[in-house]
Amino acid sequence: MAAKLSRRDFLKVAAASGGAAAALGGLQSVMRADAKQLITSANDVIVPGVCSLCSSGCGTLARVADGKVVKLEGNPMHPVNVGALCPKGQAAPELLYNPDRLTSPMKRDRASGQVTPISWDEAAKLVAEKIAAARDAGHPESVAMMYGDTRGQQRSFFSRFMQTVGSPNFISKESLNTAAAKLGMYLTQGAYTLPVYDLENSNYILCFGANMLEGGWNPQRTISGWTFGRRGRSNRNRIVVVDPRQGIYGSKADEWIPIKPGTDAALALGMANVIIKSNLFDSDFVHNYSFGFEDFTGEGGATRKGFKNFVLENYDPQKVEQITGVSATTIARLAGEFAATRPAVAMLPGKGGLLNGSMEGVYAAMAIHALNALVGSVEAKGGVFTQQYFPVPDYPALPSDAVAKKGLAAERVDGAGSVFPLAFHAYQAVADRVLEGYPLDVLFLYDSNPVYETPGGAKFAEAFKKIPLVVSFSSFMDESAELADLILPESTFLERWGDDYIEGFGYPGIALRQPAIEPLYDTMNAADFFLKLAETLGGSFAKAFPWKSYEEVLQFRLKDVGADWETLKELGVWLTPGYRFAKRGSERWFEIVGRDRLRAPRDGFFDFYSRELFALFGKKNKADLAKRGITQTGDGVALPHHEDAPLSGDGDLHLNIFTLMSLGPKTEAANMPSLQEISGMTVRETWDSWLEMNPETAHKLGLQDNDAVVIQNSFGSVQTKLKLMRGLRPDVVNLPYNQGHTAVGRFAKGRGVNGLTLLDPASEPVTGLAMFTNTTVKVSKA
Amino acid sequence: MTDWCMVIDLDKCIACQACSIACRFENNTPVVSPEEAKNGREIRWNDVFPLPVHFGPDEGEYPNVKTHFLTRPCMHCKNAPCVKVCPVQATFIDEEGLVRQNYDRCIGCRFCTVACPYGVRYFNWYEPQWEETLAEYRNPDQVRVNGSLEGPAVRPVGVVEKCTYCVHRLIKGRAQADAEGRDFRADEYVPACVQTCTGKARYFGDLDDPNSTVSQLSKSLRATHLLEDSGAHPKTFYLSEG
Repeated sequence: MAAKLSRRDFLKVAAASGGAAAALGGLQSVMRADAKQLITSANDVIVPGVCSLCSSGCGTLARVADGKVVKLEGNPMHPVNVGALCPKGQAAPELLYNPDRLTSPMKRDRASGQVTPISWDEAAKLVAEKIAAARDAGHPESVAMMYGDTRGQQRSFFSRFMQTVGSPNFISKESLNTAAAKLGMYLTQGAYTLPVYDLENSNYILCFGANMLEGGWNPQRTISGWTFGRRGRSNRNRIVVVDPRQGIYGSKADEWIPIKPGTDAALALGMANVIIKSNLFDSDFVHNYSFGFEDFTGEGGATRKGFKNFVLENYDPQKVEQITGVSATTIARLAGEFAATRPAVAMLPGKGGLLNGSMEGVYAAMAIHALNALVGSVEAKGGVFTQQYFPVPDYPALPSDAVAKKGLAAERVDGAGSVFPLAFHAYQAVADRVLEGYPLDVLFLYDSNPVYETPGGAKFAEAFKKIPLVVSFSSFMDESAELADLILPESTFLERWGDDYIEGFGYPGIALRQPAIEPLYDTMNAADFFLKLAETLGGSFAKAFPWKSYEEVLQFRLKDVGADWETLKELGVWLTPGYRFAKRGSERWFEIVGRDRLRAPRDGFFDFYSRELFALFGKKNKADLAKRGITQTGDGVALPHHEDAPLSGDGDLHLNIFTLMSLGPKTEAANMPSLQEISGMTVRETWDSWLEMNPETAHKLGLQDNDAVVIQNSFGSVQTKLKLMRGLRPDVVNLPYNQGHTAVGRFAKGRGVNGLTLLDPASEPVTGLAMFTNTTVKVSKA
Repeated sequence: MTDWCMVIDLDKCIACQACSIACRFENNTPVVSPEEAKNGREIRWNDVFPLPVHFGPDEGEYPNVKTHFLTRPCMHCKNAPCVKVCPVQATFIDEEGLVRQNYDRCIGCRFCTVACPYGVRYFNWYEPQWEETLAEYRNPDQVRVNGSLEGPAVRPVGVVEKCTYCVHRLIKGRAQADAEGRDFRADEYVPACVQTCTGKARYFGDLDDPNSTVSQLSKSLRATHLLEDSGAHPKTFYLSEG
């Protein structure tokens, strides 16, 4: 073959010998058509959009060939993914063309459990009647909505609807994932937001359980940052992973610190101890822009203990070694590296992190973020900054409404702000409180499947029995939709309008989601349903929602971003990449540091000593605090410290539920067969769950690789397959999330187990966080 | 002479498997049933897997442990064993260095699947199936060479299939350039796995062009081939970790 003169060679020779260019061109295309012929679609269109299969919100370009979505690519204009797309996004046509999608709105008869299709008008009428009745009875707060990802304008739009109803019960899923990190930011920096990390410019990344390469709240962003820091620049950064489970990121990092679960605060403070002792901290920041580093004189002339002395007295590395299982020399070395290899950044986990679950988690988030403050990485290059958003025009003022006003002042069903004084949302607590007697008449579930996705979710099945109308917007008959009275399937992200804030780089940006094709079935954008509902309700609702479609709402809200509608549709992305970070003491600094504080001054000081916490608990006595799970009193309450989180479950191994890159955080992804097929790549498993265990532990328990094992504790018992791996602590076992569905569809149903059924269903008493990390289990041979 | 080549930086590869799935949707590889998947009969032209995960020699002891991952397309070998053993010349190296597969000629003897040192050749044990509406998303692109099917065209039962470096994209790119009456540039074409790579770990281009990124990277001290001693002269380069 090699000896033969190939066609192209022949052509080259022909060209060199001076054949007429035009004639040769003609010959070439004839030969090509004859040799390699491409048969393809007649009509190819590329439609920009935004993926919805995790919270990264990557920009997509859908190839629509003859009216069918056949392939998705990343949108190269979108800064988060820059043309890349993870397996979930790539598999999205399986979501669109999934054979188990719901095809029309349906009503369920509670007695028989039978579902019957109804029209959208009938559905709107049914819901409207209930809402009107709740308002007539003077209890609009009995209408509630539980929601997951509601990005871009969606959250404010839904929130406006709930305000018009007059209900404060608009409840985010964040208490299951990102709330601990947000609270850490809030209690120190005074901004209730997820921190944004300048990974590209950081020389040292200390990553506390943030699962940068598989899960996290913005995985594509952290992947880009990771690989750029490794190979995209002249000096390679250093990455240290602190996590009981090694995972892919622990393997790829320079160092993996297998920390004892629930002791992250102690490690961070042990490092702070060394940094302070060695005088390696950023003196300018600490003395001019922070509060409570040194001892200070408080109210009534009392001397208050500052962060410095508290840490020096209590968190000597030798002592921290006892708590965390990380040796004192390692702690001292990490502290030295962290403070000397600037810019350095300490990352908080978001989704899939290890901080949730107790006040220890919140103190840990504070302690970790305090490390950033110590080395001057707050609002600095290579450090942490705060996400900025495009200014959007306000919605028209809501008509004044006495019923709504009274309702909005009512206590929330999840107990946020009352039962849980520091909580903004306590998603999983809704069931407890409904069962305790909080009356709900209507419950909307948007991107929400609490029966599956909360610890001990079965309690939601009980709670739903007490709610006359449960409305699910799920595109699939998931575990919660199976118990709902009305199922109003939303169109998939490839069939509906929406937008998305681009997050992860600090500067403002917007991405537009537009229908790549018309909805395949009789489905509707949930936002459009709310417009229909407002029209049906009339009165103040009709006035509050004058738009005909959600597309119009978007056009109204996005008119000031700097791009006209056609440009937005064409590009799918619009950015103003100017802002990097706020200079210390600048006007912008004051707009960020301290901006969200409710109980402490918004004075631009970073709180090493949380005045917010002191205002809440500073004067409480020991017994009161003990009920809240806090062992310290006085100043200790306001300072980040280690708490021994109480363990539950009566087992001897920590259960760690982790998120996979493939199946991700969303219920519907479990019903995408390609993702199921690749889900167990790390352990050579497929279409199933598994339990990861250290061989040392397995040896003690007499277990072997691939054994069928029973995992049990006081909350339940499940059976799965054992996989031995050395990349985890011997006192921890890992179980992947998003298997073990009892519904959703043919590909998801009955595969593997749902580890959340083994977790403590209680909520943390101060912050309302779900108990994700303090449950133990026993493992035995099945 | 154009010599298409891929370079994969294992330091940047984070084993997300986007390449596997991008390939599936670009090239119409079917999902097999869970039972068949458990028997190792999945068809993923580009697969990602951990290198000896369990107790392999390179694993180390807790806590000094590391798992290495490999992403593996066809190596498009210069001395391809699969080509040598094929009794019917269904598989061949074309003039641009791609190892291609002609489904019409293939008789399903599977000599090539055995001969390939990399295990990148997949046999269709069953008629490829897409359950109900899932068939809608199949890539309509087909390559016909002198009347025979190649590339993403849905394969019949009993033939072997493999990674083509997305040859249909190459043809499409050329056709586009022809239609616009200009020369085709090497950077107008990348396979689907390269385009989607989340860690930007993959590079693609003309190895024959000394200025191309792949040429430059192939001279890196980190550049290596998989099973260099297999005698197959594999072309796909890997850049080693760390």
